[in-house]
Amino acid sequence: MTNATDQVSIRRKMGRLAPVLPALIVSVAAAIAFILFPYDLAFLTRIVIMMIFVLSFDLILGYAGIATLGHAAMYGCGAYAAGLVSLHLASDPLIGLLAGAVAGALIAWISGCVLLRAQGVALLMISIAVTMVLQETASQARWLTGGADGLAGITVSPLLGMFEFDFVGQVAFVYSVCILIAVLIFCCILASSPFGLALRGIEGSASRMRAIGTPVYRRKVTVYVIAGAIAGIAGALAAQVTGLVGIEVFNFSLSADVMVMLIVGGAGRLYGALVGTLVFMVVHHIAAGIDPFNWLFVIGFMLLIIVFALPKGLISLPDRLVALLRRKP
Amino acid sequence: MKFKKFALCAVVTAAFSTASTMALAETIKVGVIATFSGPNAIWGKQFREAIDVYVAQHGDEVAGNKVEFIYKDVGGPNADASKAAAQELLVREGVKYLAGFDFTPNAIAVAPLTKQAKVPAVIFNAGTSAINKQSEFFLRTSFTLSQLAQPAAQWAAKSGAKKVVTAVSDYNPGIDAEAAFSSSFEKNGGAIVEKIRMPLQTTDFAPFMQRIKASGADAVFAFLPVGPATFAFTKAYNENGLKAAGISFYGTGETDETTLDALGDQAIGLVTAYHYSAAHDSELNRSFVAKLKELHPGSHANMASVGAYDGVDLIYKMIKVAGTDGQKAVEAAKGLEWESPRGPVKIDPVSRHVIQNVYIRQVERAADGTLINKEIATIPNVPDLGFNP
Repeated sequence: MTNATDQVSIRRKMGRLAPVLPALIVSVAAAIAFILFPYDLAFLTRIVIMMIFVLSFDLILGYAGIATLGHAAMYGCGAYAAGLVSLHLASDPLIGLLAGAVAGALIAWISGCVLLRAQGVALLMISIAVTMVLQETASQARWLTGGADGLAGITVSPLLGMFEFDFVGQVAFVYSVCILIAVLIFCCILASSPFGLALRGIEGSASRMRAIGTPVYRRKVTVYVIAGAIAGIAGALAAQVTGLVGIEVFNFSLSADVMVMLIVGGAGRLYGALVGTLVFMVVHHIAAGIDPFNWLFVIGFMLLIIVFALPKGLISLPDRLVALLRRKP
Repeated sequence: MKFKKFALCAVVTAAFSTASTMALAETIKVGVIATFSGPNAIWGKQFREAIDVYVAQHGDEVAGNKVEFIYKDVGGPNADASKAAAQELLVREGVKYLAGFDFTPNAIAVAPLTKQAKVPAVIFNAGTSAINKQSEFFLRTSFTLSQLAQPAAQWAAKSGAKKVVTAVSDYNPGIDAEAAFSSSFEKNGGAIVEKIRMPLQTTDFAPFMQRIKASGADAVFAFLPVGPATFAFTKAYNENGLKAAGISFYGTGETDETTLDALGDQAIGLVTAYHYSAAHDSELNRSFVAKLKELHPGSHANMASVGAYDGVDLIYKMIKVAGTDGQKAVEAAKGLEWESPRGPVKIDPVSRHVIQNVYIRQVERAADGTLINKEIATIPNVPDLGFNP
């Protein structure tokens, strides 16, 4: 009896700690990476930015069950917005991030109102089409975006007026990690809120949720807009760190990569998004470093093995191991 | 005091000894950033093979230093990956020269890094005129569209074309080509009757051929990215009877050596203005092509190969003069003249772009049955005409 109450109280404490825990884990991991790989900060920064992007996709695919192949639309709009703001209005990085979030949310709202009425394959097709239209627009509007040459010359002023973006990329890394932590805490709170539970319900069975009075379409649009804003932030970060936005931000392969990273890690789990991105990008980087010509084979095999052995992604590995061990005796 | 003096001595001798050993045998790393995977992997392949040929011919030692090439794949036009790769090469590998760069955004993204690290970056392909003014450490051994389209216009005017319609892919290089050709052709007394811009993804060109026919022009100037689009365009040009109707074709890179065989007989007679033909008649080019065939059977030398070959040549020349001093290397490169497989070349001291001959070529079947770009006229020493500092 006492044992059980103890457990409950521990769970309660854990529950209170829940939003802080991921922040703690990420910051410790980031600090270790910072110390162990001081020469790879540019690459690590790309991973962190991609993590933010995959997290946003997890909200719509993993939680709400909306499968799209056009998530690059919001990322790209965020990147262009941040780039244009820093070129023409203000070079403060945080204002750029805000612009990216607004642009991502806006395009998600406009496109979401249309494409969330569709389902399944139709939804996939429309989401691809939206991204292609945006890419063509960016390619045509040369006076604004620089077209295929890219929007060049983006410079950002020192972060908070104090930390200048350095050559090795230390400031860029710490800055991206801070944004990742903020986004992760936000996603944790969102996932455990009534809204997050409603999303899970919609993922499970939209018709039942409709039957108990949940406005399914409106919930879907809301989460799409939130994910769009986060994707926009990721795009804005990429634009600020690279200093150039090309029309390739709208590439289909980016949308597809995001989906692959999430599936590898485990959809519907926030840590799954982080683990999937980390594993995918590190394997990609190492394989491409060893053999820049044939590394795609390695990625292909990795995907096959993970999808067959761990259909719920890498994040389910501990659970699977425990289940296996329990079955043995 | 004594200790300080001793320490100073130690430091000085240490510095001298490392300096002397450095001069003796240092490994100078060259980072090559290009596309080695995905649909555009042909660029990286051509670059690497040409570098192999150059190293096989000239060895990997320059003035007592060993030269090592490190390849980084960026998987296509991808500014983020390009910048991160350059940063990694500079910070971790300590490369003293950057090279490669197949696509314009990939080159522009590293401009601030080259300035901060004072490392020369030799561009093997990316051909937008605006790149070189982004950083004084950019050098380029490829071409720009103005450099090719203006000679093409002069040649068209000279060979009797009066009314020309331009048909270009609707993206930056296409627009550059259109602008350069039009202004030069009008200056030479011709008229542009219509400017057609075709969507980049188009593969059905029959409607455009109808427009070209209907425009009443006696020649068409085309620019499309090398690949399926070019293939479909030249096919449509023949099938829709433009050739038969006497509308002559002027282009630039449409008859690239790597895709020429696929075009087949329909390519015969196409006239292009370009800076390199694998059939260029010189001892150096013959040995270059022969060595390439020996090391990589089945490969074709094209503009990407010669861009990389000359780029590495330029890097070797810079190392010989300046070692690892980037600033000095760029100064040394300015005004440098040498003989390349494409013909005589010179680095323009102002634009740091290669001044070269532009050849008017016509596709024909060689004695051995293969299709070649036969050089029929030469416009000597053309600089980057689109450069405005």
